[in-house]
Amino acid sequence: MRYDVIVIGSGPAGLSAAITLKIRNKNVLVVGNAEVSEKVSKAHEINNYLGIPAVKGSDLAGQFLEHAKSIGVEIQNYQIHTVYAMGSFFSLQTTDNETLEANAIVLATGVSFGKPYPGENEFLGRGVSYCATCDAPLYKGKKIVIIGSSAKEEKEADFMSEICSEVIYIPTYKEEPEVNGKVQVLKAVPMEIKGGMKADTLVVRNAESENQGLKAAGEGDAGQEIKADGFFILRESVSPGQLVPGLKMDGNHIEVNRKMETNIKGLFACGDITGAPYQYIKAAGEGNVAAISVVEYLAQLKK
Amino acid sequence: MVKKINAEEFKNEAMKGCAVVDFSAVWCGPCKMLAPVLEEVSEEMGDVNFYNVDVDENQNLAAEYGIMNIPAVLVLKDGQKKDILVGFKPKEALVEEIKALL
Repeated sequence: MRYDVIVIGSGPAGLSAAITLKIRNKNVLVVGNAEVSEKVSKAHEINNYLGIPAVKGSDLAGQFLEHAKSIGVEIQNYQIHTVYAMGSFFSLQTTDNETLEANAIVLATGVSFGKPYPGENEFLGRGVSYCATCDAPLYKGKKIVIIGSSAKEEKEADFMSEICSEVIYIPTYKEEPEVNGKVQVLKAVPMEIKGGMKADTLVVRNAESENQGLKAAGEGDAGQEIKADGFFILRESVSPGQLVPGLKMDGNHIEVNRKMETNIKGLFACGDITGAPYQYIKAAGEGNVAAISVVEYLAQLKK
Repeated sequence: MVKKINAEEFKNEAMKGCAVVDFSAVWCGPCKMLAPVLEEVSEEMGDVNFYNVDVDENQNLAAEYGIMNIPAVLVLKDGQKKDILVGFKPKEALVEEIKALL
């Protein structure tokens, strides 16, 4: 089934867009979570949301959700890996390898993604990859490093260990990783990716490992270099430029105009992701503008 | 049209004029997404020849051009490598980047 619109993000921008789209009788899916947005629900007290003074964040989030649900907005908890602009429609690949389709997209993902490591963008596609299952066969019999941001990535490390000669797994979370015996776990802080024509070195700090070979050099702050053929950076929330190949960014934000249009036709952005000020009512307002632009775009598409 | 070729055909055909070679594999999701987009791009750029090479069947050729991530779109002019565009890109971006290189 192809939706008219898929809204990615369930904060004030995303839900506001979805509500207006629903009122305009569009077939809309919100990809997000039932807690609305952590940023809203964790706020102690919000004093500048029009008409709802001195409201607790969790209460405001609850009201957003109730409003959306009351007019039949559907919210699904998918993790979107990539949004492909196919021309006249969009194909969304989830991390479980499901495919969703929509004629238009509203990106309202907020700004919770981490900063890239130095060298990461530069070497992307030249030894740096974000998708183990996509690029694994290219590293058959080679040595790779995986930087995993959550326990979910451990199964990717196990998978890669079947194909590569050597897999080093660096968790950037606290829990003890559970990986198979062929994966070497290295507790370290990744600092920088270096190389020449292609990436060949990861610089880390504070390395501790049961593997003697890795422990040897560079105690403490000196930094230690790990040589490998490939570096996989697996994160839970990715930056929008990564989520949507070809999307034009303005620093860490998505470049939009006053209609919330991006450089990709049919793809709109709203909320914190378009830039400061990071205010709830600004996000909701932009969601409304994005929705109306989507309605215009869909009308044009039908012609 | 995007023509599927092997390493030998590559040497014979792609080394003349303007050529765009899409390195892909059957197991690669983004490659599958890129294929129909590249097909559209090829319709728009009539004076450029478009090819597709399977990296599993032509590993030496892929290695020769340093293909480490796919999809990778190699842009050639008279046999000279102009650049390699890595990853999926929307149609407008592909047309613009290929034009800029040729």
